[in-house]
Amino acid sequence: MRVLLVEDDPMIGEAIQEALKDASYATDWVKSGQLALTALRCQRYDLVLLDLGLPGKDGLDVLACIRGEDNPIPLLIVTARDGLDDRLRGLDGGADDYVLKPFEMAELLARIRAVLRRKGGPAAPILGNGVVSLDLVTKEASTDGRAPVQLSNREFSLLRALLVRPGAILSRSELEDRVYGWGYEVESNAVEFLIHALRRKLGSEIIKNVRGIGWMVSKGV
Amino acid sequence: MDGLKGRLNTSVQFKLSFTLSLVILMTAVVAGVFSFLSAFDEAHELQDDVLRQVAQLVDRQRLSPPSPATEPRLDSGSEESRVIVQRLGAGTASSLGVDAGGTLALPTTLADGLQTLDANGETFRVLVRTTASGERIAAAQESGFRNEIARNGALRTVMPFLVLVPILLLIVADLVRKMFRPIATLSKEIDQRDERELHPIQDRDLPTEVRPFAVAINRLLARVLQAMESQRRFVADAAHELRSPLTALSLQAERLAGAEMSETARERLLLLRQGIERGRNLLDQLLALAKAQSVADPPRTPVSVQYIYRRVLEDIMPLADAKRIDIGVEGPQDTQVWVSELDMIAIVKNLIDNAVRYTPAGGRVDLSVTAAEGFTVLNVRDNGPGIPLAERERVFASFYRALGTDQIGSGLGLSIVQAIADRIGAQIRLDFTDAATQNGLSVTVLIPAIGPLHSPVGREAIKP
Repeated sequence: MRVLLVEDDPMIGEAIQEALKDASYATDWVKSGQLALTALRCQRYDLVLLDLGLPGKDGLDVLACIRGEDNPIPLLIVTARDGLDDRLRGLDGGADDYVLKPFEMAELLARIRAVLRRKGGPAAPILGNGVVSLDLVTKEASTDGRAPVQLSNREFSLLRALLVRPGAILSRSELEDRVYGWGYEVESNAVEFLIHALRRKLGSEIIKNVRGIGWMVSKGV
Repeated sequence: MDGLKGRLNTSVQFKLSFTLSLVILMTAVVAGVFSFLSAFDEAHELQDDVLRQVAQLVDRQRLSPPSPATEPRLDSGSEESRVIVQRLGAGTASSLGVDAGGTLALPTTLADGLQTLDANGETFRVLVRTTASGERIAAAQESGFRNEIARNGALRTVMPFLVLVPILLLIVADLVRKMFRPIATLSKEIDQRDERELHPIQDRDLPTEVRPFAVAINRLLARVLQAMESQRRFVADAAHELRSPLTALSLQAERLAGAEMSETARERLLLLRQGIERGRNLLDQLLALAKAQSVADPPRTPVSVQYIYRRVLEDIMPLADAKRIDIGVEGPQDTQVWVSELDMIAIVKNLIDNAVRYTPAGGRVDLSVTAAEGFTVLNVRDNGPGIPLAERERVFASFYRALGTDQIGSGLGLSIVQAIADRIGAQIRLDFTDAATQNGLSVTVLIPAIGPLHSPVGREAIKP
């Protein structure tokens, strides 16, 4: 995997470059928009990390140039500009994600993986949050250090709904929508029943209840 | 007197009313005195003419003045207005008084013509005339009475002044007040303004004399607005610029954590990273405050409060979990508020963050939302230490931190909440969760309701 890093701040650039190297990405680092465009023409990259506040050519202009040339390369904006306006212009301009400074390297790496996954065809057939992972094909769930457990169809649907966005809280009605089809008579404690079953199989910590709102799986580490 | 002088110096309106009234009064007094005197004189002259005509009449008709002894007394009832006609020198002082029909004791040596003299103990105006037959007659009238007539006449000429002057004074005072009304209205308008309402004042309906002031005030307002704006921009820019070095710092610290190091070094690195995290938190809050205080009101949309609670809890759950705090929403009802989503999130997030921060491990935080008489009522209460009554005013100040806690918040949370609340017209109330033991903080936010958009069902916000 070859990554082009466009960042004018030497300290940040160096830190990101080293961290990417640690995560086994080959990284080229340029410090201006013009150089970034030149590099993109000369070399094939798998991903671009683009800062917005660049000397000379602004990041958003660079983005417009790249997308103007019909280059579909996965691109993440990494910036300190947190205005809704900038964010919308970045995402509407064709960026695949928008990471706000200051960020943790672990988060940046996770987002890079997510973008590569999205752009690289069908998602990996495993969902997980670092605590529990769910195989979408075999419908088996496993927690750290335990053998995979086979889930029933409804248990699987419920866990999948929660694992699509770890950290998000889903209400009872939302979970019912995901698990049961239309016109299906849902008993009032059906969701609790499924969650109880899941906890018994996978450990009580995997699904958290938020009083008065709903359920979630933790965001992981 | 000092008060009067002070008001004269400070109030143009008072000065104008006072001066105008004074001038009117003085003019009225001078004119009144003058017309009184001239009317008085005129009346006297008229009465002198009457004496002359009576004497002439007696002379022409050769009437002989009645002899006091034979003449029966005419009971006219107005003896004082009488004109007495008598032969001079004839039958000197009678025993009868003048009022009883007697003659006047006039000296025979009187020269012809008008004169005022004392006779019988009263003052008389006397006209002496020598008739064609050589007789000398005198026509006399009581001076007191003449003066009274003259005075009455003169007073009647002055009367309109006496009535009109107070009316004039009232009219002047009223006119002056009316003329100054636009200024009074304007000053009231400016006085009632919030410190963020720096739009120019309306100078169209103002008198030309005052308009320059209004224009100058408008220019000053514009400069203040600019200064405030640049200060706000400075805070935002500074916080923004600090993000890059902080990012670099935190990335380096993160990399360092991956390196081989001793246990001591690892412990110190943890502290370092906590410090960096704190700085990052402070920057975020500073930016949020700068945004909350900005004049621009972000576009408002109907937002479900339950949805906001859920969004914020998703962020805060890790922190609450780490402290084993039981956090949750009470009651199933939901209400929509007409506020920008970002503002709503900022308010709720800061309140819940505070609650979680200041509640001891294992504590409890409850959220609720209800609708009551024109307001949507959000409530966040915890079972932490609460805020003593004496400190409630100060907790909204920037960088205030509760005493006796080891929390490292930014001290900006409630300032941000207050700034946004001011902008959207919401009120904030602080109470104890448990009033009896004076424990726990209960924060209530009253947001003006949006009427027909109230709905019992929350917006389904998280889409599959």
